[in-house]
Amino acid sequence: MNFDWSVVWRNADALLEGVELTVLLAITTMAISIPGGIVFALMRLSNVRVLSAASAAFVELFRNLPLILVVYTAYYVMPVATGLNLSPLTTGIVALSLNVSAYNGETFRAGIASIREGQTEAAYALGMGRWQTMKEIVLPQAIRRVLPVLASTWVSLFKDTSLVSVISVGELAYTSMRIRAQTFRVLEMLTAMAAIYWLLGYPQAKLVDWINRRYGVKE
Amino acid sequence: MNAAAQAPVNADRAADGVPTLTYRNVVKRFDSLTVLNGVSMEVRHKEVVCLIGPSGSGKSTLLRCTNGLELIDEGEVVFDGKPLPRDWNGMRRMRRRMGMVFQNFELFPHKTALGNIAIGPMSVLGTSRERAETHARALLEKVGLADKSASYPFQLSGGQQQRVAIARALAMEPEVMLFDEPTSALDPETIGEVLNVMKQLAEEGMTMVVVTHEMSFAHRVADWIVVMDRGAIIEQGPPRQIFQAPTVERTRSFLSHLGWSG
Repeated sequence: MNFDWSVVWRNADALLEGVELTVLLAITTMAISIPGGIVFALMRLSNVRVLSAASAAFVELFRNLPLILVVYTAYYVMPVATGLNLSPLTTGIVALSLNVSAYNGETFRAGIASIREGQTEAAYALGMGRWQTMKEIVLPQAIRRVLPVLASTWVSLFKDTSLVSVISVGELAYTSMRIRAQTFRVLEMLTAMAAIYWLLGYPQAKLVDWINRRYGVKE
Repeated sequence: MNAAAQAPVNADRAADGVPTLTYRNVVKRFDSLTVLNGVSMEVRHKEVVCLIGPSGSGKSTLLRCTNGLELIDEGEVVFDGKPLPRDWNGMRRMRRRMGMVFQNFELFPHKTALGNIAIGPMSVLGTSRERAETHARALLEKVGLADKSASYPFQLSGGQQQRVAIARALAMEPEVMLFDEPTSALDPETIGEVLNVMKQLAEEGMTMVVVTHEMSFAHRVADWIVVMDRGAIIEQGPPRQIFQAPTVERTRSFLSHLGWSG
């Protein structure tokens, strides 16, 4: 079998652009889904029935649908249903954010629930209100406690951005597949893609471990 | 209700005693369980009142009803001449005037000792960080932990954590301090340092309500002892009377179970 690895170097610029878009997708999605997840968690834990039910419905819907279906639906159905005409990139970010916000909502809910009642009472005893207590005492601890879970969500998200290639967003997977189709160098391009995803993903996982050691709350 | 549970009128108490807290027929139920069954008592200004009695007798619940961590079902608690509000938001405004110290310290683990003490005034009273931290340093000095301002709770011993917790409560400049078994979770060798801080507070004239099993502390520091059992006050009086000449049989048996022999 003949290998021609030069196909990788010849398309280095295109692959680099793909990498940039992959990173942009992952960062933008997480930047939306962390506050999004906190909002859904707070809604879910609120005493207001409507908010709690709405949050539960959202989370259970998007957590239990295949991401690729959400991507397709956002691309084909959302413009018709809402009249919004978004670019494939923005559509991809919307779809990813719906999915990751649902997961983060559950993550933060578990984190908030894990902070013992005594912490809340200690804050109330100082005269803090419910919102102050959440903001100053409970959330900062909950966020630190769920850092490992957020980290694995991030690593998943980084790879799942490849799913938006189905709506022609030119990220790394889409670009690799396009080069493969044009050159027929299947094994070379799949290997290059695997190497790039792994080399990008591994240091992130290590970085997250470090963040967790540095900022995790010790008791 | 027996005679001993009536509102106290006793010559042993400070004659100029102005009531800071007055409990009148306080009833608290959890579902069908009645935890406080008509408790009436008084805590006077600058007085140290110790609540003693077996586990489950309602001492902690009475303390938690005082600052509204639990809302009472019947009766009233009068604080500084006014009945306490019966709703959560009303109680929220009263809580800043009462300090509370918990059995398990409940320091905020994501904040340093200094941060734990400064957070109350900063978030509740809107005190500037600079002023809050200056005050916090003074309080750390007062509880003997001036060198621990940058330490996180997990770096401190139990006794040190509880002293920080006392400083945290004092930072709000409360009119009364509520202690809920402050030494029950401590190693024996660190109990003394916490009790010493409490004794010092008492000597400075702080009004204190202390739920405790430390009978020697109650005997030496308290102005008034309240003995509770099964949600009611069975006997109250000055320490001398309670510890040396208890009139109620159940007080005698409770004290003897603790190995107290005067």
